[in-house]
Amino acid sequence: MQRISIAPRNNWQAAVEKLGFGFHTTDIPYWDESAYYSFTLSEINRIESATQELWDMCLGAVQYVMDNNLYHRFAIPEWAIPYIEKTWQDDHPAIYGRFDFCYKNGHLKLLEFNADTPTSLYEAGIVQWFWLQDFDKSKDQFNSVHEKLIDGWKMLAPYLRRGKLHFSCLKQTLEDLTNTEYLRDCAMQAGLDTKLVFIDDLGWDNSSKTFVDFENESIKNIFKLYPWEWLLRDDFGKNILTDANQAFWIEPAWKMILSNKALLPILWEMYPNHPNLLPAWFDSHGMNRFVKKPILSREGANIEMVDNGQLLQSSDGGYGQEGYVFQELFELPAYDGKYPVIGSWVIAQQAAGMGIREADSLITDNKSRFVPHMIDG
Amino acid sequence: MSPFNKKFKKSAHIQLVLITAILASCHKPTPHPQRRVFMRSDTTAPYNGVRSYYGDNNGNYSSDNEYYSGNNGYHHHSHLWYYAFRPYGHYYNGSYRRAGYYSGGLSEHANTGSNGFKGSITRGGFGSHGFSVSS
Repeated sequence: MQRISIAPRNNWQAAVEKLGFGFHTTDIPYWDESAYYSFTLSEINRIESATQELWDMCLGAVQYVMDNNLYHRFAIPEWAIPYIEKTWQDDHPAIYGRFDFCYKNGHLKLLEFNADTPTSLYEAGIVQWFWLQDFDKSKDQFNSVHEKLIDGWKMLAPYLRRGKLHFSCLKQTLEDLTNTEYLRDCAMQAGLDTKLVFIDDLGWDNSSKTFVDFENESIKNIFKLYPWEWLLRDDFGKNILTDANQAFWIEPAWKMILSNKALLPILWEMYPNHPNLLPAWFDSHGMNRFVKKPILSREGANIEMVDNGQLLQSSDGGYGQEGYVFQELFELPAYDGKYPVIGSWVIAQQAAGMGIREADSLITDNKSRFVPHMIDG
Repeated sequence: MSPFNKKFKKSAHIQLVLITAILASCHKPTPHPQRRVFMRSDTTAPYNGVRSYYGDNNGNYSSDNEYYSGNNGYHHHSHLWYYAFRPYGHYYNGSYRRAGYYSGGLSEHANTGSNGFKGSITRGGFGSHGFSVSS
């Protein structure tokens, strides 16, 4: 893995905007093609096989948590447990997830799993691929995101309720809308009948006991780019249980177990000393070097890195009331003062590609940048 | 060509049907701009007076140039021609507030806010948390 500095394309802003990528820059650049990361094929093979294996391990962890009634570790409300277990037993379909890895000195370690509402899918699947076509068409990329999404929706189609598949996200955010519309684009190419409705606009029909879209059309299946823990806390949360349609929600409720950082100590308990895992516990467990993470948090908020009793780095935020996990400190590698995290996608149960986000500190936060990659060697 | 080429990418050709259609629609003239309502109606905005969110009949547009649709119906701000998803908002107490984003992928009915009596339906029960789910 190497970081190579290059000159960005002269017209890179127009080039990415032509792809519908409108959030390449906010108050700071987000898409950064002044460098790329180069990987050997054997490195990529390693990331791919680890992703596949971890996905299988995660499925085992869901069953383990259910069998051992460990929901309290995840701060999941009791009233939601029967529904979560039903979605698991009835095999409610899932489409995607993103493992975040630290790759350093030949070691590939899982930092966390974004299993419910992962973003940067469009950058990983589309924007960096078209960058490579401009930069060096002869090279390859760990990227079959697009094909696997289309195939995934095709495979998933027979499991859906009869009717449309709605797609939903918050209306305030261009990033979420772009990711959602990209997923819908792939679903359309898979032959599904789709429709967009913002999550803010979803209605509840009290006479039919069903969710409806903005045109009062009944919801039978819905992809939501909106976390389950927020859904459950919202006013309509409990209506999911009484929904007469028993609509399929994608990602399904059983993903609440995987999208929670309480998964990390559970995985370590189930698979101790696995080469892709870091020791993790629900307390510091005598570790001298650890990262304290809220079980539910986003964009690197409320992280504390501790080294021999000293606070190495920390971040602010409003998370942590549900509890914390403690993971052995394994610092991100530094490349010219940049710290890359590998986001490896699992789509329709298969490793599907990766994207790299780069931060200026050890904590990857909402100021991190997306940097493309290629396979070269 | 090295032996691993195209190992992970099955095809160099990627098609985007929805997003391409949205982008293409951004280039089309609008024959009746005064009747086209760009904003997705929502629970926070009035159904009438939508045009004032985007520009008045004299072709004026919002101060931050986020979006413009003038008299002839073309989107004059060329920088935004390539934007598949467009911001919308409104002025409040003299300052511009972004209300959200919309795309051409939304259906006409959803955009026009033609729903009248909502009957037993309540809205706004989701979406109270957070600004983005970015992770």
